Order: sequence, then structure tokens, then C-alpha cells
Amino acid sequence: MLSRKVCLVMEFEQSSKAEELTDLLLLECDQLKENMPCDFSGIALQKYGEMDVVWPYVSGNRNEKYKYITVRYGKGIAGKVISSGSSMTIASFPNDIIGKSTEYPIMLAEKIISAYACPLIWKGVPKGALLIGFRDPHTFNQDNYQKVKQTAEKVESLLASYYFGN
Amino acid sequence: MELREMNHASTYIIQSQEEEIKRIALELHEGISQNLYSVSTGLEFIQSGIEHPDLQAYTKELSEIVNRTIKEVRLLSVELYPSTLMTLGLSSALKSYIKLFTSTFGVKINVESSGEEQKISESKGLAVFRSCQEALINIAKYADTSEANLSFKWEENLLEIVIDDIGIGFNVQEAIDNNLFKGIAAMKQRMTTAGGNCYLSSSIGKGTKVTIVLPTEIGGM
Ligand SMILES: Nc1ncnc2c1ncn2[C@@H]1O[C@H](COP(=O)(O)OP(=O)(O)O)[C@@H](O)[C@H]1O
Ligand SMILES: [Mg+2]
Repeated sequence: MLSRKVCLVMEFEQSSKAEELTDLLLLECDQLKENMPCDFSGIALQKYGEMDVVWPYVSGNRNEKYKYITVRYGKGIAGKVISSGSSMTIASFPNDIIGKSTEYPIMLAEKIISAYACPLIWKGVPKGALLIGFRDPHTFNQDNYQKVKQTAEKVESLLASYYFGN
Repeated sequence: MELREMNHASTYIIQSQEEEIKRIALELHEGISQNLYSVSTGLEFIQSGIEHPDLQAYTKELSEIVNRTIKEVRLLSVELYPSTLMTLGLSSALKSYIKLFTSTFGVKINVESSGEEQKISESKGLAVFRSCQEALINIAKYADTSEANLSFKWEENLLEIVIDDIGIGFNVQEAIDNNLFKGIAAMKQRMTTAGGNCYLSSSIGKGTKVTIVLPTEIGGM
């Protein structure tokens, strides 16, 4: 058995590792938002061992609603990107969407008009989505897609620690 | 058509629509869910008898898909029709809807309750439930606020529910003039049909308040 002291040290290391991971992923969100530039960026991820999707890391948020939002697999922009494994664009919310506006809670909560999201792959399976959003109508160009793709790759390389750290 | 006939017609439309929705919800819950459950149990049984590892992995995957579908069907059924309305009562049904609402939209609802819950008929309970749903969804869609309040006041012969937010508010007359008032109009129609009423007031920058009242005396059931 491990001594109490060793356990405490391990716990401390684990929590500081989790903090470090949070810092890294938030930094990716911040940088993506600044480089684009866009109004909002966020990472949606499936909870470990579950189908439900949450928004653990965002930047440019106008309130704290994202913390409470849980998206069902296949619902909303994140759910659809994860279940289909392909990226998705919304040009002018709520005008050009499939289904009802209430199926897109992050768009409602953050007042996003134009959004683009691409899948985040872990072990060959889509596990999350990286999203950029604009609060005014925006036409996406190749440069936008390229920047999201680059950040997505960096985020993907950190997903192992997300799923094992939890 | 006379106004009275029009009201009869819309009452009939609301009722038959509700009946149809309930039928689909029960069909999903009792028919389809039960069959899927049998498939799931069968797959688990087959899986335990298979030696071929690839086939076993494949059966496991199928089994997971079926279980996920069972969950989806249950959620869809509850979304369509709150079956707890009659078993647990209006307060519980609304409170569990509010939990789902918060985890969907991230908007917190502070619930307050006073007085003792009275028994109300299914059709009246459903009218109140649907009206609250409409008011809450409007908050998520338009109010631009992270919090709102819902209070139940149970009196001897009357239920009063107030849903208010300190959100952006809106110009009620302008919304009526621009024909943008359909959800709220339907809510009012539903409540008057149930023998109650529904009032809305809003002012820009201050927020919106929806009041739902329903007489609950036995004679009115
Ligand atoms: N809680 C609220 N806060 C701000 N605006 C609201 C609220 N509820 C309703 N509204 C406004 O009233 C209009 C009409 O609402 P409603 O009749 O429910 O129609 P719908 O929800 O289909 O748009 C909405 O378009 C919105 O502008
Ligand atoms: Mg509405």
C-alpha cells in the first residue's frame, strides 16, 4: 500500500497536471480567436466513457452558460460534427439551420450568427469539435479553415491527457 | 365563422394534436423501446456464445448502438409528452423539465413554491406545463440572461405561476403588430381553453414576466 504522504503527492501532481492541461487548451482557444480574428472559440468534448458532449474550454464567452450546457450526441453543431465526423458551417443563424434554433444551445447562448466547427479525432474516432463563431454575418475563407485545422491538430495531441487525466 | 366557433375549432385542434403527440410518445416508450430492449438482451446472449473475436467485437458494437438508441427513444418520448405529469404531479413534472432545460440551455431557473399542491386534471396540467415550457424556451431564445425565476403559488382554488426574467425585454405592441406573437398567443389560447388565463408584460431593458393562472376547484376539473 502507498503511504498517505505519497498519495497526497500523487493527488497534487494529478491536479496540477489537470490545471496545466486546462491552461494549454484555453491558450489554444485564445490564440485561435486572436489569430482569426473571431468573437468566440470553443472546444466541445464527449465526456469520458459517455455519449454526452460538454464545452469545457472556451474563449470570448459573454456569459457562463456554456458551463452548464450538455449536448446530446447528434444534437447541435458539436453533436452533429461528432456523430458525422465531418465539419459543419452555419452561415447565418438561425436562418439556414437543420431543425429548430433550440437544438443549437451554444449559438443561442453566445449570440453567434456565423460558425464553423471541425471534428477532433482521438484514436481514429471523432470525440469532440473545435468551433469558431462570429456575432456578425461572416463569410468563411480558406485561411479560416486552415487556421482551425492547425489548432485542431494541436488540441488532438492533448486529448490523451484529457481522457486519462480525468 | 363566429368568434365562438373559431375558439371551438382551435380548442379542437389543440386537443387532437395533444392526443396524437401523446399516442406517439407512448408508442415510442411502450412499443418501440420494449422491442429494442428484447433485441439488446438477445444480442448480449449471442455475444456470450460467439468465439470468433471479430464477430464478438461486432456484436458488442451492435449492442452498444441498440442501447444508445433505447436511451434516445426514451429521451424523445419524454420530450414529446411528460408522462410524470399524472404519476408525480405538475410540480415534479415541471421541476424535472427545468433540470433538463438548464442542462440544455445553460440558463438557471430559481424555483419557489408556496401552498399545498392541488390535484388537477391531465388536460389542465398539460396546458400549464406547455405554457411554462413556451415561456422558458422564450427566455433561452430571446431574453439574453443567465438566470430566471419560476414561482408556484397554490391557493385553495387557484394556481398561479409567475415566470420572470431580468433580460433584455421587448416591445409587446410591436411584436403583435409584426405578427411575431404566435407562441405567446397559442399559450394564451391554451390557458383560456383550460379555464384559466395567461398574461404577459415586458419592458425593454427591464425584462419579461409571464403569469399563468388556473382555477383548481374540483368542479372545474
Ligand atoms: N422572455 C423574453 N425576452 C425577450 N423577448 C421575448 C421574450 N419572450 C418573447 N419575446 C419576444 O416576443 C416575440 C414573440 O414570442 P413568441 O410568440 O413566443 O414567438 P416565437 O418564440 O415563435 O418567436 C419573440 O420573437 C421575441 O422577440
Ligand atoms: Mg416562443
